[in-house]
Amino acid sequence: MGAVLLIAAKDLRQRLRDRSAVVLGFVAPLAIAFLMSSAFGGAQDLHVDLGVVDEDGGPLAAALTEVLGSPGLDDLLGVSERDRADADEAVDDGDLDVALVIPEGFSAAVTAGQAAELEVVAGVDSPLSAAVVRSVAESFLTQVQATRVAVATAVGAGAPAGEIEALAERASSAPPQLPVEARDLGGRELDLISYYAPGMAIFFALFGIGFTARSWFTEQREGTLDRMAAAPIHPRAVLAGKALSVLVYGTASLGTAAVVTSLAFGAHWGPPAAVVALIVAVAVAVVALTALVISLSRTEQQAEGLSSVLTFAFALLGGSFVFLGMAPEALRRAALLTPNGWALRGFTDLATGAAASSVVTPVAAILAFSVVVAGLAALAARRRALP
Amino acid sequence: MTSLRRTVRDRTSLFFLIVLPVLIIVLVGSSVQDEDRFAVGLLDQGDDRLATELVADLEAAPSVELRRFDDLDALRLAIRRSELAAGVLVPSGLEEDVRAGRTAAVGLLSQPASTSGLAAEQAVRAALAERSAVVSAAAFTAAEVGGEPADHLVSATRAAEVAEPLTVTTTVQGESRFLPLGFTYSSATMLVLFVFVNAVAGGGMVIQNRRLGLYERMLAGPVTTRGVIVGEATTYLLLALLQSALIVGVGAALFEVDWGDPVAATALILVWSAVGAAAGMLSGTLLRTVEQAGAIGPVVGIALGMLGGCMWLLEIVPPVMQTIGHLVPHGWAVDSWIDLLSRDGGLADIAPALGVLAGFALAFGGLAAHRLRAQLAA
Repeated sequence: MGAVLLIAAKDLRQRLRDRSAVVLGFVAPLAIAFLMSSAFGGAQDLHVDLGVVDEDGGPLAAALTEVLGSPGLDDLLGVSERDRADADEAVDDGDLDVALVIPEGFSAAVTAGQAAELEVVAGVDSPLSAAVVRSVAESFLTQVQATRVAVATAVGAGAPAGEIEALAERASSAPPQLPVEARDLGGRELDLISYYAPGMAIFFALFGIGFTARSWFTEQREGTLDRMAAAPIHPRAVLAGKALSVLVYGTASLGTAAVVTSLAFGAHWGPPAAVVALIVAVAVAVVALTALVISLSRTEQQAEGLSSVLTFAFALLGGSFVFLGMAPEALRRAALLTPNGWALRGFTDLATGAAASSVVTPVAAILAFSVVVAGLAALAARRRALP
Repeated sequence: MTSLRRTVRDRTSLFFLIVLPVLIIVLVGSSVQDEDRFAVGLLDQGDDRLATELVADLEAAPSVELRRFDDLDALRLAIRRSELAAGVLVPSGLEEDVRAGRTAAVGLLSQPASTSGLAAEQAVRAALAERSAVVSAAAFTAAEVGGEPADHLVSATRAAEVAEPLTVTTTVQGESRFLPLGFTYSSATMLVLFVFVNAVAGGGMVIQNRRLGLYERMLAGPVTTRGVIVGEATTYLLLALLQSALIVGVGAALFEVDWGDPVAATALILVWSAVGAAAGMLSGTLLRTVEQAGAIGPVVGIALGMLGGCMWLLEIVPPVMQTIGHLVPHGWAVDSWIDLLSRDGGLADIAPALGVLAGFALAFGGLAAHRLRAQLAA
């Protein structure tokens, strides 16, 4: 056991002395998390500058304008009244996000039971604002249509046709049947920093594969491995020591990222015990992958090449670079063939409020992946008669 | 030429030159699609005709892609993972509630602050609006003229069918400051990102040549220092151009990306390759070991790409970050692609940005040549 710790400590010291290992393991994930949080810091609250063009002047236009200016929509919409030319120009220049045009004769057409339409004029780069305004306008029209249908049905069933206005009044104030009610989703909304902080941290932890594999071949070349083999240490102790150093390096790198991004950038990682479990599982996967790279390579260059290919392929497929939630299902499935894909699924669930116990499946999947990879490494090593 | 042949022969380099960029273009392109259909989850606990009709309405809605769930927790989880834009809960006993005059509601789950959540919510509401209007009209009529709501359902349905539509039309105007979504977006931004990242990471070539003593051997022959520097620069430029050509070709052939005005696009690619080549040379002269180039190259390349709008467009970041984004060459390159691809711009439109990029290339290249000359002399 003493030899294991000694070898692990020696490897770690070497790693920390190598500036590129420190940069990749500790500085880079934090720098990139910083860039992301400064880019997205202010992007969370939506405010829509809406210009209302009332060419109608009728009672329904007034009702719609009142809805748009209602206290519930205060935070979301900043409403100003414009004329058409002014609104078009403001949308073009980006002074307004959206304009809503209530055309001439709108109220009259609705009251007469004719077709009518509202026009949303959207700036080309404000699709979300346009969707919000469109959504408010459509739900207003839905209510108006429901009132028209109610009045028509009532009149058809014998209600006095002379009292249409009073009927419409009563119909619009009657509670709607079959309303669509928003239910609480529970948990919290996933913010970008809480996704990319672990995503980037794992990506950079994967670089540990390359460092260790390279150092293995350096030691082989310089005879360090031979000297260790000659010493009264079991070969397994040498391997265990090296594995331990990779495990500690990976855990430390990920752990630092978790602590710093939580404290400094408001990333939400989740309950500490669950986060630690995921981090250690990822570090174990890095150890297994390192063993595989070493057992498959003959030279330092091959190890370097293979490990960088693995690092980038996993980072991409697993979703470290690109958020895969909205990607087609095939890609989301492919992500679950990678250890970091599972880890990110675990971290995403934790960040959106899942219980600590939700990480059991991801952790088990990552460990299973590691066992398979380590088995492949052992097979390859035996074939090549490596220690 | 030796350096170039070595790179092309190395399988790892080929992965980074070809496989990786294409993979990223596919991933980003298919995740950043224009949304006209929303994945909506359905938990259907309905047990009567009204529920069946509601579900049929949802299925018929053109912008809703319905996926069925058996379990509320699984539905919630899928929404929180952003796999679904929204979820609909159809409860049991709807018809009975309506008949008894109780308000029966359909539940809706969505992420309140997401674009797709909002739009999907609207799509669901629109899909269910007619049925709701019919049931409400029947209840209202029963209250006004007597009878049971169920007695008026048929006439209410007919009234809803013949009602003239009330619609919202959307006109989009203005010139875009974004790139077209989908594969055009991913191909253009990844072209900018990868040419640079691979060039900087390729700084290792200069280091390796230095280490192997190749330069000494070359200089011992009939080759001048200037010849060596020009040769290295040409290698980097050719690699960057090869990389660009690959991405342009793959984008056009597989993903139908329209690269805009050919003259302007070619000029932009040439200038950007020069920037990448110069940056790669510079990294080769600044860093000491191949490991450093392999390690620091991608980090610097990705970080600059983030700053300059390759990972997300600068239009969405605060003004300070937009300014910083234009202190690095990437910001100008992405701006130029937006001009070319979203606004049908030509050479004249991107000329100022090309000027700035050429300035970057000259500055990087000059510094690199200066350092390499000093290193060769030593």
